[in-house]
Amino acid sequence: MNDENAWVTQAQQGSDEAFTQLVETYQKPVYNLCYRMLSEPEAAEDAAQETFLRAYQNLHRYDNSRSFGTWILSIAAHYCIDRLRKRKFSVFSLDVEDEDGMPFELPDPDSPNPETESGKREDRDRLHLLLKDLDATDRAAVIMRYWYDYSEVEIAQSLNLTVSAVKSRLHRSRRALAEMWQSEKSRAYPERRSRESLAF
Amino acid sequence: MNHLPFENWLLNDMPMTSEQQRELDVHLRNCSYCSALVETGRLLNTTKMAVPAAGFTMRFQSRLATRKIEERRRKLLGALLFVLGGSALVMWITAPYVLSFLAAPSTWISVVVSWLIYLETTLVALLNAGFVIFTVIPKFMPPFVWMVLISAFAGVSLLWSVSIWRFVRAPQGV
Repeated sequence: MNDENAWVTQAQQGSDEAFTQLVETYQKPVYNLCYRMLSEPEAAEDAAQETFLRAYQNLHRYDNSRSFGTWILSIAAHYCIDRLRKRKFSVFSLDVEDEDGMPFELPDPDSPNPETESGKREDRDRLHLLLKDLDATDRAAVIMRYWYDYSEVEIAQSLNLTVSAVKSRLHRSRRALAEMWQSEKSRAYPERRSRESLAF
Repeated sequence: MNHLPFENWLLNDMPMTSEQQRELDVHLRNCSYCSALVETGRLLNTTKMAVPAAGFTMRFQSRLATRKIEERRRKLLGALLFVLGGSALVMWITAPYVLSFLAAPSTWISVVVSWLIYLETTLVALLNAGFVIFTVIPKFMPPFVWMVLISAFAGVSLLWSVSIWRFVRAPQGV
């Protein structure tokens, strides 16, 4: 039995210390998923905390034959999807971004120079903003696929979808992202686009 | 412009031969959509993890402690409301009987005794009728009826067991 299984078993028996170990281990993946889903650091923090609370309260329902990581990310994804759906009907917009509020990203040890890194960072931020325009479930599927290297089967299990539905959602999302990226670029560099040959 | 098969290669992250890569490079020079597909794919594959602010676990512990206190308070309040509400309801329902019982105890005692006698005689009559039925009917019932009855009983038991199992099975994803 590895450490994680032991912590889960102890936590199921009521050990808060063991559960704290699980929080320590999974805080980054859970927070990252919530941040990519909700796009705001404060909302992501709140959602990640709530995810762990839900896991704590429902630990007796956890099936030990399944990976704890998959289970907790599934809780986080469902929570964020619900929250995004509620937000759709909210009167107030929560879309205001504060530059200082952006979370810290791990530095890239392979980065050749700061300028390249800054350009990459800009592109990543732009992509992060484009993710917001995807449907909540599509966004969860994309995040699980590209940030966590989940297989289509794992995504299907986590989001209660069929494998073919996951495939079609991933393809649809990739196409949508590419189209948005294309139109962003053409807005940002209109003179370059006018010199380009037509793609369609 | 026809994006096939390039779009499929890119969407499925398929490994490409050098010939396919060359064809794709030629296509990308003229196709801004597929270029965007390549660029977004590359970004998705290289974007890093966002990490929470330091002290996440501490904040979780304090939130958990607060939630436990709230939960305990809510349970206590629920139990209190249940007991008070239940007591009020019982008092409201029984008040007329209690009051009349306190006013004239002999009437109530005779009613209760007559009810007990009625209950006892009814039970005895039912038991006698049941005994007669169970001793007489089996003599007229052919064996296949017994088989059908036992099979039906087994089927219902199986259905009941499966229902219970499905009901208590642990769901995932909360």
